[in-house]
Amino acid sequence: MRWKKTELADMQMGSFFLLAILAFGLVLNVSANTEVEVLYAWKANLIDPNNVLQSWDATLANPCTWLHVTCNGDNNLVRIDLGKANLSGPLIPQLGQLSNLMYLELYDNNISGAIPIELGNLIKLVSLDLFSNRLSGHIPDSLGNLQRLRFLRLNNNSLSGSIPRSLTTIATLQVLDLSSNHLTGDIPINGSFAFFTPMSFRNNPGLKPQKFPPPPPMFQIAPTPSAKGPSSS
Amino acid sequence: MKKRMLVRKSTMGSLWICHFFLFLTMLNASFFTVVLGDNVSDSYWLLKMKSKLVDPLGALKDWSPIVPMCSWYGVTCSLDQSHVIGLNLSGSGISGSRSFELVTHLTSLQTLDLSSNSLTGSIPSEIGVLQNLRILQLFSNYLSGTIPAEIGNLKKLEILRIGDNLLAGEITPSIGNLKELKELGLAFCYFNGSIPTEIGSLKNLVSLDLQMNSLEGHIPKEIQGCENLQKFAASNNLLEGDIPSSLGSLVSLQILNLANNSLSGSIPSSLSHLFKLKYLNLLGNKLSGKVPSELNSLTQLQKLDLSKNNLSGPINLFNSKLKSLQTLVLSDNFFTGNIPANFCFSGSKLEQLFLARNKLSGNFPLELLSCSSLQQLDLSDNRFEGELPTTLDKLQNLTDLALNNNSFTGSLPPEIGNMSNLESLFLFHNMFIGKIPVEFGRLQRLKTIYLYDNQMSGPIPRELTNCTSLTEIDFFGNLFSGPIPETIGKLKDLVLLQLRQNDLWGPIPPSMGYCKSLQLLALADNKLSGSIPSTFSYLSELRTITLYNNSFEGPLPESLLLLKNLKIINFSHNRFSGTILPLTGSHSLNALDLTNNSFSGPIPSSLAMSRNLSRLRLAHNQLTGSIPSEFGQLIELNFLDLSFNNLTGEIAPELSNCKKIQHFLLNNNRLRGKMPPWLGSFQELGELDLSFNDLHGSVPSALGNCSNLLKLSLHHNNLSGEIPQEIGNLTSLNVLNLQSNHFSGLIPSSIQQCKKLYELRLSENLFTGDIPDELGGLTELQVILDLSKNLLSGEIPSSLGNLMKIERLNLSFNNLQGQVPSSLGKLTSIHMLNLSYNHLQGQIPSTFSKFPLSSFMNNDHLCGPPLVLCSGSKGQDQVVLSNKEVAAIIVAIVFTSTLICLVLLHIMVRIWCNWRKVAISSADGGIGERKREEARWMYSDKKTRNGEYWNMNTLGFSTPSPNKQSPDQSTA
Repeated sequence: MRWKKTELADMQMGSFFLLAILAFGLVLNVSANTEVEVLYAWKANLIDPNNVLQSWDATLANPCTWLHVTCNGDNNLVRIDLGKANLSGPLIPQLGQLSNLMYLELYDNNISGAIPIELGNLIKLVSLDLFSNRLSGHIPDSLGNLQRLRFLRLNNNSLSGSIPRSLTTIATLQVLDLSSNHLTGDIPINGSFAFFTPMSFRNNPGLKPQKFPPPPPMFQIAPTPSAKGPSSS
Repeated sequence: MKKRMLVRKSTMGSLWICHFFLFLTMLNASFFTVVLGDNVSDSYWLLKMKSKLVDPLGALKDWSPIVPMCSWYGVTCSLDQSHVIGLNLSGSGISGSRSFELVTHLTSLQTLDLSSNSLTGSIPSEIGVLQNLRILQLFSNYLSGTIPAEIGNLKKLEILRIGDNLLAGEITPSIGNLKELKELGLAFCYFNGSIPTEIGSLKNLVSLDLQMNSLEGHIPKEIQGCENLQKFAASNNLLEGDIPSSLGSLVSLQILNLANNSLSGSIPSSLSHLFKLKYLNLLGNKLSGKVPSELNSLTQLQKLDLSKNNLSGPINLFNSKLKSLQTLVLSDNFFTGNIPANFCFSGSKLEQLFLARNKLSGNFPLELLSCSSLQQLDLSDNRFEGELPTTLDKLQNLTDLALNNNSFTGSLPPEIGNMSNLESLFLFHNMFIGKIPVEFGRLQRLKTIYLYDNQMSGPIPRELTNCTSLTEIDFFGNLFSGPIPETIGKLKDLVLLQLRQNDLWGPIPPSMGYCKSLQLLALADNKLSGSIPSTFSYLSELRTITLYNNSFEGPLPESLLLLKNLKIINFSHNRFSGTILPLTGSHSLNALDLTNNSFSGPIPSSLAMSRNLSRLRLAHNQLTGSIPSEFGQLIELNFLDLSFNNLTGEIAPELSNCKKIQHFLLNNNRLRGKMPPWLGSFQELGELDLSFNDLHGSVPSALGNCSNLLKLSLHHNNLSGEIPQEIGNLTSLNVLNLQSNHFSGLIPSSIQQCKKLYELRLSENLFTGDIPDELGGLTELQVILDLSKNLLSGEIPSSLGNLMKIERLNLSFNNLQGQVPSSLGKLTSIHMLNLSYNHLQGQIPSTFSKFPLSSFMNNDHLCGPPLVLCSGSKGQDQVVLSNKEVAAIIVAIVFTSTLICLVLLHIMVRIWCNWRKVAISSADGGIGERKREEARWMYSDKKTRNGEYWNMNTLGFSTPSPNKQSPDQSTA
């Protein structure tokens, strides 16, 4: 009934009990699927009042039957769809190990903390939508490694620091929204940034306006066909 | 109330009798009492106390007026037998609440020990009258309330132990008055507040135990006044601040335990003055900085635990100096470097060394091999690297070796096989390569071997099955090959066998059935083959068996029905055949996964006996018959996947009881009937796939209640009617596939509320009307928007230009009219586009030039690259043309227009020249001026356009454009 019977004799028990757990309470290896481990570790860091991550069961061989994730035919994780899921907590560095991820849709949550540098390892990423969260810190330089990225929306967060120049090397970048943050410094105008208008950067009081107006978009509406010219002359 | 009149007997002739001369019957008392003068005697109070106590063990049965008081159990009398001076009822099983106050009448008491009982109530303030009390032990009861301040009146008190009760409140400062106190035990209570500074006036205190309370604040520096203190334990409180360096003056201290508080700052070097210290425990605080090397002077120290702090720097403690050390725990800190040289010495008594979860690096510390008495060594979760030394077997006493989660490389030294005391070997999560040495077979005491997450290869040696003490084997995630040893059955104590993700081949040895203790068997992700041996029926303890991703085949032995404890079965992705009935013996199943085998026959309804079944996956087999209606009893069912079978019949209405369903996958069967409306009551539903069946009728509007639904696949059925507006309630929906049904009516505009859709397929239906403008609001659409093969009419809404992420857009085979909105040209993510077989006309966005002609064919009159260039006049080329014809026409048009242009220009230039001559000669210069103005405008207009055309021509045509020459001509 009562486990704490003797007083002084127990003096040392507590710590040694703990010690034994530390040394030999090794958790049995249940799953070594990286994606499962990473996502489960992330889940452990998240507050999920709506229980949207209920199906994230670490004992499964892969995450493909979990909800809010999508695998490709080889059971590799390619999408995470957790937009507007009322999640709070941080992004964790291990997310950078989800090497097949193409779509990371986490917009409209209460996710806080910094964008992990390791997200720059997700080289297959096409869309990184982290807008409308509570992210802070710098935009990691490493995001410039995401050379297949087409959509980068980090707007409506509390990101600070300058816009990494590395982002201008992402030739595929189509949609960029860094608006409503606390970014500072110059807005890059070279590379892929040549096509983005001030709309992508608005409401960042510390950002210096672009020195040159951006040139017209890459895919200009074609001029009227040639047949018209001669016939009108 | 029963009154018993008893005549005092003096037959025993005991001395004490003469002291009592009056017999009184107390009001409402059920016993006889004896009173001396006007003072009620001790025995009176004791008997009264007895009456208040519950005494289930009968410890107080000899407490009776007919027995001399001084011979009562637990009672010690004064020499003259007149007074009780000692009462010891420790551990006598008594309980009761208000009995305690009565003790305070025994004013001669010197010793009171009521410890280890079940007494309730509080410590009365009257306790202060027991002026003679030297020993008060009340620990391990259920006493509540606070410590009365009057306890400070017990000036003679030497031992006060009242811990392990429900006492709360602050520790009364009056405790400082107990100048004679040697032992103070207040542990395991609910005391809060801070440690009273008055404690420092207890000069004689030897032992102070404050463990497991809620004490907060600092450790008072006044504690240095307790100059005789030998034991001080304040662990598991909320103490904060620095460890007072004044503790260093308590030179008698042998035990110091401050574990699990919030103490911060660095460890005071003054602790090194505690030269008698045997036990020092500071685990679980916020201590930081380096460990003072002065601590090395604690030559009496036997156990030192500094784990779970923020300590950093190199390890600067030396067993060679701390010569008495038996246990050293530095885990969970930020220590760097390696074990220092000269750490060990030849007479080392160090048995336990725990350094896990630090930042230690370098090779395996050879220095440790000199600590020959080591029994337990934990270096896990550090940054060690390199190979293990072949001389590891110098640690002959080692029972537990944990080197997991490091970066060790190389192969395992065979010499480990000489470590005959080894019981557990944790080497997982390293980079070990090579084979398991056959010498491991000598480890007769080995119970646990974890090698998972390494790169080890070769066969699992048969010799390993000589290690008959083995209970747990985990080789997960290596490259082991060859067969499982035939002699595996020798491991009678084996509880866990985890061989998943290796390259093992061959059959399961029948002897495995003799591993009768086996609870978890994981052979998944190998190349194993053959069938399950019938001996498996002996594995009656088996809870989990996972064989997925192998090449097992054949029917299951019927005797598997005897495995009654199975909870998790995963045989998916093999070639098992026959009935699944042998797997229904257990009624404790949690998960059954037989996906992708060749099982046939009906789904056994007896599966419903496992009421806790939460995952049932039988997809991709050849199961026949209908879904058992008994499954309605599976109220814990969460994942039901019966897809890709030959199931027939209707979806049993009983399934509507399975309210916890998240995945409901019945696709690719031959199910009939209507789509059940009760699906709308599945609040947890995340994925619903009924595709490729023979379902008919309409989509029940109740489905809109499944607000958590992420994937809805109803394609390839015979469903009809309109899509209910309630589809818009599925605001979480990611995928909607209604392809190939008979749905009709309009595409509901409410679909715009499904903002998270990334895949939408409505093709091959009978949808009519316009494409709703609102589709343009589905900005997350990415995989596909497929509206093809419907009866849609009207124009393509320009709002579709908002679908920035869309990769595939198929609007083909409809009756769409009008122009392709230029906004679609912005959709640069599109890599597949199909607008063919509509009635579209006009110019297509220039960015569409990258798509093949087939994307646009069979429309009324589309133009622009890659199609024919648009001509200004409309209404021509109504006939549908082949590609060759189109190409020919393009060439022809270009040629003729070039020609016409040239001719016209030539004529114009000549006319102009002639006219100029005339004009110059004319008297009316005003008209001439106007004409020149006109010509100049014409000229400049041509010039600007020329640049554009140049671009166009170089893109599309190789023939030089006449326009290129026209400026030259005009200036000529």
